[in-house]
Amino acid sequence: MAVPGQLTFARRLGPAARLAIWLTIGVACVVLDVRYQAMEGLRSGLSMLLHPVREALRAPADVATEIADFFTRHRLLLHQRDALLAERARLALTANTALDLKRENEELRALLALQTRPEQQLVRAALLYQGHDWFSQKIVLDRGAAAGLRSGLPVIDAGGLMGQISQVYPGSSEVTLVTSPGQLTPVMIERTGQRGLVAGLGHGQLELRYMPSQTDVRVGDRLVTSGIDRVYPAALPVARVTRVSRPQAGPYLRIEGLPLAEIERSRAVLVLVARPKAAQP
Amino acid sequence: MNMPRKTGGWRRVLGTLALAAGLTQLPWSGWALALRPDFVLVALLFWVLHRPERIGFGWAFCLGLLADFQDGAVFGQHAIAYAVAVYGVLFLRLRLLQFAPLQQAAQMFPILLAAQLTVLLVGWLAVRPPAGLAILLPVLASTALWFLIALWLRAWHGKGMRGAE
Repeated sequence: MAVPGQLTFARRLGPAARLAIWLTIGVACVVLDVRYQAMEGLRSGLSMLLHPVREALRAPADVATEIADFFTRHRLLLHQRDALLAERARLALTANTALDLKRENEELRALLALQTRPEQQLVRAALLYQGHDWFSQKIVLDRGAAAGLRSGLPVIDAGGLMGQISQVYPGSSEVTLVTSPGQLTPVMIERTGQRGLVAGLGHGQLELRYMPSQTDVRVGDRLVTSGIDRVYPAALPVARVTRVSRPQAGPYLRIEGLPLAEIERSRAVLVLVARPKAAQP
Repeated sequence: MNMPRKTGGWRRVLGTLALAAGLTQLPWSGWALALRPDFVLVALLFWVLHRPERIGFGWAFCLGLLADFQDGAVFGQHAIAYAVAVYGVLFLRLRLLQFAPLQQAAQMFPILLAAQLTVLLVGWLAVRPPAGLAILLPVLASTALWFLIALWLRAWHGKGMRGAE
C-alpha cells in the first residue's frame, strides 16, 4: 500500500551503489591528502588516540626483552664491559683533542669573522612503532613537539644518520628513513670531498646519484653529510659504498651503498635539535 | 542465521575489532612485520560475513583510515581497499557461508588479494611505484588466519558454520 510521504519502492541502497559512494569518498580523501595536505588534523587526532595504546603495548615487548636479558651470560657481560672501558678511554682521548680543536677553531673563526655554527642539542628518543615499508620507510618515535622536536630535524644512531623527522605530533613523531624511496640526503665522499646526492632505494639500500663517470669513487668509501643544506650538520656518516658500476647508457655511474646506521635494529636514537641562533647585531 | 544470535552482540563485535587494532599496534619488526596478517581486515570481513547488518562499508572505511595512519600512508589507500573487500564479501556472502573452513579460506584469498592489490594500485598512482612485491605477503598470512578462525569457529559452535543441516 502506498503511504503518503513514503516512497513506494523505498529500500536500502544495494552493495554496488554503496561501494561506489565509498570509493568516491576514498578517492576524495587521497586527492585531499596528496594534493592539498588537508588531512593533517585527522593524522594528529589519530596519533593522540593511538599514542597511549602503543605506549601500553610496548610493555609486553619490554618484558620479553628483559627476561631475555636476564639470562645473558655473565662472561658476555664482562667482555662487553671490558670493550666499553677500552672504548671510553679512547673516546676520552679524542674528546680532549676535540675540545682543543674546538677552542682553536672558534678563535680562528672569530679572527676570520665567520659565522659560528649553531649549537647542537641532543634529544634521546626510542622507537615506538614501525609501519609497513611498501611505499615509504618510516618509523615512529616516542618524543614529539613537547620535547622540542620539529619537522626536518636529523635523526641519528650510534652508526650514523638514520633519517629526518617528517611529521611531528604532540607526543610522538614520524621519521622518514634515509633508505626510503624519494628521500634525498646531500653527502660528500669522505676520501675525496666530492659532493653528491644520496637517494633511498627501498629494501634498506641507497644510491649515490648523478656522479659523472670519471668520478673517483671506490667500493668501501664512506659517504658523510656535506652540511651545505643547513638541515644536516656536516660529517655525519651516512653510508658505505658497496657497488660501483658503469651502465652502458647514460653519463652517470651507478653507485649503490648500505646505510651505516643500524636502521633495522636501532631502538634508541638521538635527534639533533639545532638551537635557534641568537640574532647577530 | 548461521551463528547463534547472542554471539554477535555489539560488545563482542567491538571487542574483536579493538583487539585486532591493538595487535597491529604491537612493535612488529623485521620478518614478523613483513608477514603480519592484516588483523583488522580479517576481523572486519569476519563480521561482515556473519553480521552484515552491523558492520558494513562505513566501519570498513574508518578502520581503513586507521590503517593508513599506521603505515604513514596516504589517507584513503587502505580505506578504499577495505571497502572493496567488504563488497567482495557481501557479493559472495551466501556462497561463502556454505563452505567448510579450508574451502572458505581459499575463497577468501581472492578477496584479500583484491584488497591488497587495491592498496598497491592506489599507492602506485598517488605516491610512487612500490618497492617490490613484499606487499603481497600479508595476503597469505591473512588467508591462513582466516582459516584458523573459521576452524576455531566450527569447533566452538559445532556445526554452526554450515547452518542447520
